[in-house]
Amino acid sequence: MTAVENRPAPVLSTTPVEWVRERLFPNVASSIVTLLLLPVLIYVGYRAVLFVAVNGRWEVVTRNLTLFMQGTFPRDEQWRIVAQIMCMAFALGVGASTAASAAADRAREAGLPVARQQPLEVVRRFWPLIAFVLVLLYFASTVTPWLVVLGTLALFLLGTAARFLTASFRNVGWLLMALSVIAGFQVVSGTTGRSWVAAAVVVLIALWTSVGLEGLDRLPRLAARVGLSVLAAAIVFGVYTLIPLSGVGWDRWSGLHLTLWVSALAIVLSFPLGLLLALARRSTLPALRMLSTGYIELIRGVPLITLLFMGQYILGFMLPAGSNPSSITRAIAAITLFTAAYVAEIVRGGLQSLPYGQTEAAQALGLPPAKSMRLIILPQALRAVIPAMVGQFISLFKDTSLLYILAINEFLGVRSLVHAQPDFRSVAHAETLVFVAFGYWAFAYAMSRESQRLERRLRVGI
Amino acid sequence: MTSQQSDSRVRPPFWRDARVLRVVGQVIAVVVVFLLLRWLFANLVDNSRRTGISLDFGFLNRPTQFQIPNHDEFDPRSPVWQMVLVGVKNTLLASVFGVILAAVVGLVVGIARLSKNWLAAKLAAAYVEFFRNIPPLVIIVFFAFAVFLYGPLPNLRESIEIGFPGTDHNVFVLSLEQWGMPSLADAGNLAAFGLFLAFGLVIAVLVWRWRTRVNDQTGAPHHRVLWALGVLAVLLLVGYVVLGEPFRITWPTLGENRRRLVDGFAINAGFISVAGALGLYTASHVAEIVRGSILAISTGQSEAANALALNGFQRYRFVILPQALRIALPPLINQCLNLVKNTSLAAAVGYSEITNLTQASIGNGRPAVPSIVILMGVYLSFSLIISFMLNVVNRRMQLAT
Repeated sequence: MTAVENRPAPVLSTTPVEWVRERLFPNVASSIVTLLLLPVLIYVGYRAVLFVAVNGRWEVVTRNLTLFMQGTFPRDEQWRIVAQIMCMAFALGVGASTAASAAADRAREAGLPVARQQPLEVVRRFWPLIAFVLVLLYFASTVTPWLVVLGTLALFLLGTAARFLTASFRNVGWLLMALSVIAGFQVVSGTTGRSWVAAAVVVLIALWTSVGLEGLDRLPRLAARVGLSVLAAAIVFGVYTLIPLSGVGWDRWSGLHLTLWVSALAIVLSFPLGLLLALARRSTLPALRMLSTGYIELIRGVPLITLLFMGQYILGFMLPAGSNPSSITRAIAAITLFTAAYVAEIVRGGLQSLPYGQTEAAQALGLPPAKSMRLIILPQALRAVIPAMVGQFISLFKDTSLLYILAINEFLGVRSLVHAQPDFRSVAHAETLVFVAFGYWAFAYAMSRESQRLERRLRVGI
Repeated sequence: MTSQQSDSRVRPPFWRDARVLRVVGQVIAVVVVFLLLRWLFANLVDNSRRTGISLDFGFLNRPTQFQIPNHDEFDPRSPVWQMVLVGVKNTLLASVFGVILAAVVGLVVGIARLSKNWLAAKLAAAYVEFFRNIPPLVIIVFFAFAVFLYGPLPNLRESIEIGFPGTDHNVFVLSLEQWGMPSLADAGNLAAFGLFLAFGLVIAVLVWRWRTRVNDQTGAPHHRVLWALGVLAVLLLVGYVVLGEPFRITWPTLGENRRRLVDGFAINAGFISVAGALGLYTASHVAEIVRGSILAISTGQSEAANALALNGFQRYRFVILPQALRIALPPLINQCLNLVKNTSLAAAVGYSEITNLTQASIGNGRPAVPSIVILMGVYLSFSLIISFMLNVVNRRMQLAT
């Protein structure tokens, strides 16, 4: 039997004329649609180009770019934000390289070729964000934003250069990332407050879960972990007490800076709360189940703004006299409590999608309920709901604009500062709104593209 | 000895007995939650006594003391509960118009995104990706500020009047404060005509059912839409003649030295901002639901429709959409609920729905705690009604297996 010779697939080439006929004028109905839409598209496009390039009074953005980015943040403390961006860029670089080496390891284990990330691919994935940065640079009137962007890139590359380290000690990579994120947060918020406690807790959790001590028995492992944690806590404590940096607390943050941090904090805080609520709702203990169900249904039945009102008008009443958290703290609490209910429903969906055989298999292996949940059920359930979760976090990000109604000057709210200036009191509202909308869109669209990519890669989702 | 150890009645020590632990765990959870709530409530009572702000609902019967914008008929001396009713009415109004807009635009965009026409598909995709990724509040504020308040439209005194050709009636009056359009006005016995309308609708539904039954039993073409509409039209015409012109069309005119719209139907900029923006925003989600549910119908259905020589419209109308609707309806109802909840964003642009009015009323010195409890109660009851609808729909739409 002679093998048929390999032939290349026939090349399907269409000339532009064929393409137009096929995709725009295949039949009468479609041609009519095209002919109706084309003038609309041309007119809208013409007006849009006219607005962006000719008519728009963009000096309202050019002159207030700093206000949009950081709002009323004290100008002589601006270096803190720059330092924070640098820390975050480094953290991102370390995180990216650690994740890449983890993925490479997994691929090697599975015997698949290790995919290397192409720079062009990154541009394609994050083009909305890159476009936003380019627009910012276009509007920049000083050289500082250029320097910041270049510095960010440099520190990101420095972070990825840690690959030689993270390739062999992956946990070190995650820890380094966590530490630089915390450092980035602290460099702005300062260390004089109670915030170092939070920092220490994060470091402890990172250390506790990430340091691999597989060679040791149960008790020595525990002892080693406790010892390491105490050591780390002491180091953190020492760093914070030795260098008492005064900072700018988040009740004085505003602009895009505040929007991003409120989103990040609410995401980080609502996830564990939502997880606990979901577990409680699926629990066999009726009291826990009812408490959790009641909470979730109550929160999901009301709009976020009522919770924010509750935070502003009632929470102060419900705490002992004297303790008065700032309005931003209360808003973050309200957003967290709100999102946790939705996260809980998403996680519950993931838990329900797992066949019961998984639990039974875990039981057959003799795993106690907590361990079977942690090692068998949750990893699969959470993986299945990553896209839905990202979707929820996108809507959280969009919902931070509600802080504007509470007169907090986040990205949408700084508009009121911009238009309080005599030059722009009643003009150029469309320009600022288009700019703000573009900012939100860039972040949200980048996130949604990433979530679609994850959905395809993990082959999960609905 | 050994027999005693394997005796199942010997229980493990209580701190390792699952039955005991379950009860103890629940008791602890309940006690902790109870103590937390009691602590919060005790603080609340304590603080309200200290500051002298009441917690009871007695304020509902006291006068509102402020004028609701664009509601001249509202008397500031009328009690707060009437203000709440105005707010609920406005919330419902914006929701209904928003839902209609979202449904129409969403359906068109969702189907267009699946179209083979490249231009239609790309435009629909751009629409979805654009509106889905902007906060709804930004869209509302854009309408309120960039389109209306500081937008290109003139104010009411110099408003654009689009006349009916050949007459001096205005069809549309466009200004940045209000838009006017023709409306129906009572010319004697509109209420009686309303009864006629209700009667006509009932008859039309019966005719619809009758035609459906005829079609089921004999296979004769049902033409139920034509039949029902025809019967309705005939009945309404009869009613109109019998009642002797129960209503007349009023055209929007600028009265009182062009300071306000008289006659016609006036809609406020705030309403258009909220209903329009939320409609467009929710349409992007509706479009994705429509697209997803059409894609979920297997291609075999489409091919079967082609094999029956149905044309594109018939394929959608009789084969694809009825099946897709079953998948799409639960998420669509959820989007309705989201839209109703999102109307609360009107608080930012001064459309007098319930959230805005509650905020204004708190600003006017009404006690915050009971006001917000009422606000949450209103939204909770909306949510409960819509989830009830969802459950009914789910039950009715389930395939009989």
